[in-house]
Amino acid sequence: MIAYILWIAVMVLTAPLFLSLIKMIKMWLLFKKPLSPLQGYRDFSKLLSKEVLISQEASAITHIAPYMVLAPLVVVLFLLPPPSAKSFFISFTDAFTLTGLVALSSFFLMLLGLDSASSFGGIGSSREAFISALVEPAMILVIFALSLMAKNLGVAQATINLAHHFPIEHLASFAFAGIAFFILLIAENGRIPVDNPETHLELTMVHEAMILDISGWYLALVESAAAIKFMIFASLFVSFFMPFGMDAPFLVALLIFLLKVAFVAILVALIEVNTAKLRLFKVPNLLGLAIIFAFLSLISYYILGA
Amino acid sequence: MTNFFIGMFLSTLITAMLTTRLYRLIAWYAVNSLFLALAAMSEAVRIQDEAMLISALLTLVLKSALIPYLLKHFAVKFQAERNITPSIKVQYLIILIPAILVFTFYLIDPIIAGAAKNYISLAIASLFLSLVLMIEHRNVFAKVIGFLSLENALFLLAMTATEGMPMLIELGIFVDLLMAVVILNLLFKKEASHV
Repeated sequence: MIAYILWIAVMVLTAPLFLSLIKMIKMWLLFKKPLSPLQGYRDFSKLLSKEVLISQEASAITHIAPYMVLAPLVVVLFLLPPPSAKSFFISFTDAFTLTGLVALSSFFLMLLGLDSASSFGGIGSSREAFISALVEPAMILVIFALSLMAKNLGVAQATINLAHHFPIEHLASFAFAGIAFFILLIAENGRIPVDNPETHLELTMVHEAMILDISGWYLALVESAAAIKFMIFASLFVSFFMPFGMDAPFLVALLIFLLKVAFVAILVALIEVNTAKLRLFKVPNLLGLAIIFAFLSLISYYILGA
Repeated sequence: MTNFFIGMFLSTLITAMLTTRLYRLIAWYAVNSLFLALAAMSEAVRIQDEAMLISALLTLVLKSALIPYLLKHFAVKFQAERNITPSIKVQYLIILIPAILVFTFYLIDPIIAGAAKNYISLAIASLFLSLVLMIEHRNVFAKVIGFLSLENALFLLAMTATEGMPMLIELGIFVDLLMAVVILNLLFKKEASHV
């Protein structure tokens, strides 16, 4: 029980660290003076001391939405596969629940964008809806392929099965699923080929456009929701596609888990430095690639026989 | 491990089908050949076939280094059009590629049973996919890359279906490929001198 609570606390507390890590690696690779990895926490404490200003046209949604953006993601944190196989709590939740909760969170984010009646918010919301609609089919295919390989629909049990009996004969479909899931990770978190999290240029922004009008405590909530979302996807990625080190003692397993998430963050940073942002209407091509790979994963699983 | 390398072979081929830039297509071809060489190596170690190891090393040197280098060199020399938009739209490719994969699965299913089924099905799928790669481009360089990928897929098929074809035939195909690249160069030189 203590280990479980410790794990959740570590996930919440280190979530901003990894986003700052991505930014730090990017600046370092671009020969800028890198910012400190603690910048995420500084921004958070700065936002806490600021006043909450809300536009006159805004309705009650603006007061509810920031909490509703964060809350489903926090619930998801409790249902994620644990870092250690000997954990006290192994959830029985299937991946559809997780994606549903993540979709609920982005639904409230879209409402938040629409509510302030600024034109940017509308643009951002419509783009977010567009991208998350395209993510959905690939996500479901990847999850099906993984559940078939791990022989369990529940995410937590599936990762433990993978750690204990890795399906070495299905390595090809495993690799396809990994590529597809990584593209989905980038798309859902609004990293560079899909959305640039640092720009405030109206033509390109998706996530930033929806949160332009809020400030202070509400902005801090939405920003930490973004950090936790990255943590959720990175943690799903590492528990599905790097299933090792789960039999170690709890603290060692937790350390290995954090190192694996840091590895994913470094991978994302390298991709961000090396690619240009796609035009919005080219995003379906990238997500189409994800759908193809997910489908390929399922097909090459069936070829070998279940 | 062969399984993984064949998977990466097919995924690089699919990524190559969706690229719209010539130099990136050449780079994907090089990566594709690299994974082919790695698959051949791990298969050669598994069945202990020295001849296959030699063809794998030749693949590594020729197809993943020399031929892409030559193609890039020619593309720079003759100032080839670098923007190669496929004439089949991506929306259609997203339907077409899984359709081909399912088709090859049903093609293979009644014929072969056992562990090699996966490999052979993926190899035939990559044969069809490189055919599509050849069809979908107007640019000569892209067509040549489609042809070379077709050859890669044939190599994969031979390697997985027959546990290594005779090395003499392999060497013949390698020489053929180099000749094809040289002929391409001559063709372009002639065209350039006419202009």
